[in-house]
Amino acid sequence: MSAAPVVEQLSREMGISTAAALFDQIPPHPVDPVLSPLFRRGGLPRGELVTVSGELSLSCGLATIAAATREQKWCAGIGLGEPAVSSIADLGVDLDHFVNLATPGEDWLRVASILIESFDIILVDPGFAPSASERARLLAKIRERRMSLISLRPLSGSTEQIEITDTRWSGAEHGRGRLQSCLVRARSQTGAHRFLLPGPSGTPTSVPAGTLDVPAETSDAAAGVSTTQTGTGDAETADDPRWSTITQLRQVISHVG
Amino acid sequence: MSDEFSRTLVLTVPDWPAVAAAVEHGIGPGRPVAVLHGGKVIAANAPARAAGITAGNNRRAVGYRCPEAHVAVWDEEADNRHFSAGVAALEDLVARFTLLSPGTLAIPLDSLRHSCADEAGAVETLVSALVDDTGWEFFPGIADTVFAAVLAAGQARRVEPGQTVDFLSAQPITTLEYAGTEATGLIEVFLQLGLRTLGDFARLAAEDVSARFGAFGRHVHDLASGRETVPLADHVRGEQLEVELDLDAPTTRSDTLGFLARQLGADLLAKVRRQGLVCTQITIELDAAAGRSSSRTWRIEDMQENSIADRLRWQAEGWLAGGAAPRGDSRQEPDTVDDPAPDVEDFSEDGIIALRLIAAELTTPIGATRSLFDENTGQITHTLERLQGLFGPDAVLVPGLQGGWDPAETNLWTPWQQAAVPERSPSAPWPGALHAPRPTTVERLAVDVLAADGTSVEARPSGLEATPATIRFPTGQTEAVTDYSGSWPIESGWWDPERAVYRTRLQVVTDTGRALLLSKEHGQWYLTGRYC
Repeated sequence: MSAAPVVEQLSREMGISTAAALFDQIPPHPVDPVLSPLFRRGGLPRGELVTVSGELSLSCGLATIAAATREQKWCAGIGLGEPAVSSIADLGVDLDHFVNLATPGEDWLRVASILIESFDIILVDPGFAPSASERARLLAKIRERRMSLISLRPLSGSTEQIEITDTRWSGAEHGRGRLQSCLVRARSQTGAHRFLLPGPSGTPTSVPAGTLDVPAETSDAAAGVSTTQTGTGDAETADDPRWSTITQLRQVISHVG
Repeated sequence: MSDEFSRTLVLTVPDWPAVAAAVEHGIGPGRPVAVLHGGKVIAANAPARAAGITAGNNRRAVGYRCPEAHVAVWDEEADNRHFSAGVAALEDLVARFTLLSPGTLAIPLDSLRHSCADEAGAVETLVSALVDDTGWEFFPGIADTVFAAVLAAGQARRVEPGQTVDFLSAQPITTLEYAGTEATGLIEVFLQLGLRTLGDFARLAAEDVSARFGAFGRHVHDLASGRETVPLADHVRGEQLEVELDLDAPTTRSDTLGFLARQLGADLLAKVRRQGLVCTQITIELDAAAGRSSSRTWRIEDMQENSIADRLRWQAEGWLAGGAAPRGDSRQEPDTVDDPAPDVEDFSEDGIIALRLIAAELTTPIGATRSLFDENTGQITHTLERLQGLFGPDAVLVPGLQGGWDPAETNLWTPWQQAAVPERSPSAPWPGALHAPRPTTVERLAVDVLAADGTSVEARPSGLEATPATIRFPTGQTEAVTDYSGSWPIESGWWDPERAVYRTRLQVVTDTGRALLLSKEHGQWYLTGRYC
């Protein structure tokens, strides 16, 4: 008897995976090259919850899913109000693979749980914070279906957090021009980043060399994210997927024993 | 096993297009008639065939062989109309019959079991009634499946129960043409493969046929092997799906009826679709003001509102034509007392007062259409339909773009699986349309844009009157403006007060780092978009 089916079953039912498989199991969804440094593995991780928060979070979320929708991955938006189709298209999203759910905010969890069954990516502005048990079930389902959930508000249980800390619009020129682009500063697990979102054409663009000096906040960025986002205090371990696996293993063992 | 169940009687009029053409042009039965379609003879009546005219001849060949033959161009409408009128006699005799195609109709034999002692008796009663009524020649055929019965009717024979498979296997492969026009290509291929009879073809493994010839090949294989086709076997009838329309005034105009039938047909199909089903047969009932009614069941391959409307029109025309002569008389002499058929006269005077469409046969769709290159589209469809069932069809929206200046106008959110109907052309030029970057969400919120001294900022075509300093939201919350764009007006449709648009737009950045799109219309500022 080989151990492989057992491992497969465990990983499917409980989200338990081997440490080796954790990092190279499934490739992440591709993202725009400008945004890929924000993610630890260079793309939108599958089977995990990602939060994008701060000003321009919707633009950032849409820009994140754009490359995947162009590869025929289906994406749904929940609780986004009425997004402007023109800007969705500007950000590079394939309109044929995007669906917007105009459902009441208090139903977002129910809608998401139905969509998880078949969609590859869900972009949600949660109407309320789920309870601990609802969250655990949601995360388990995400892991099982190997899909990505992007929340536009901080939610605990996320593995990657992107926080937009500063936005600087340019082009308006006090009545002499119109908005051209926005310089965005964002913090994520990989540190602090700067890019234009939206750039002059609407898509994310990297900052042209020598435009603006970045204030030296790189050093405290990563630590700041961990403490504000996870709230567990144990910054080094809490955002490590291996740690959550170990926690779950412990829970399983305590259940069984 | 199911020979009792699906045993079918098919009655067919040989060379129906030629018969219909003769009726249409008022030609007597003894004269030769040939019907052309696409320059080739598709049907010829017995005198014409006796003169040597066969299917596939061109017009010149017809002229050589039989100069006195009447040559008519095929008229599908006339075919349907005359047949539908002609078989009216059946209405009093059988409970349910289906018009398979013009010239051919099918009657389930179990519906005759109570009125007739045996099959032969049933056929005799029906055929003699029809021949008395119409003067046409009817060939009966009985077999265990509809397809076999159609073939049997071509030879006017009765296939004993259980013998259908043997009967079919002896038929030449060319008889597959009765399965539909798509089969023509298949017949050639089968002949090249050396399959001469249906039996040769039926002996092939169903999987191989399916792999090589697809769904239609499998369908044809089922027909050739004497299996009932899927739609009939899958017959789902949860509830009676029907739509009804009472006309305000009785009408005899077929164009009015066709127009109403199209709307009614669309309603019925929408109803059927909401049940997740597909309608393959439809019963059309017409009520006349005088109390008579006409009911027919039609089998339609591609069920659409247009095809339903055509059938209804044909049925109504055929039915009304039954009373056409008395109607003409009564118009000329309205006070005539020696009217030959008062009931017919009444009805044609009043016309049709109500239409009813009933989904006679419902089946489950084979499956949602999938594109080869899309991943799990079927599951997506299923999921989204489930959400539409829970939250209403308008809750699941797919994006589209149309023409317009602002995001609120270019947005075209359409419910899933509905056709997008743009109100404004996307290809037309929209001078003054917003350029990228565009706001990500669309809003419509009345706000106040205040200058530093607290007065509202006025917009003029030349620009703003004052520097915007604060935005006050309806909630009373205010945000300071740190930067603002030039304002640019849009003026359009000034020639038409209904469509006149005049507004001034302004982009502002507030002290929270947010960018907003504002627009001033009729003296009021609105927040029309957020960059978020």
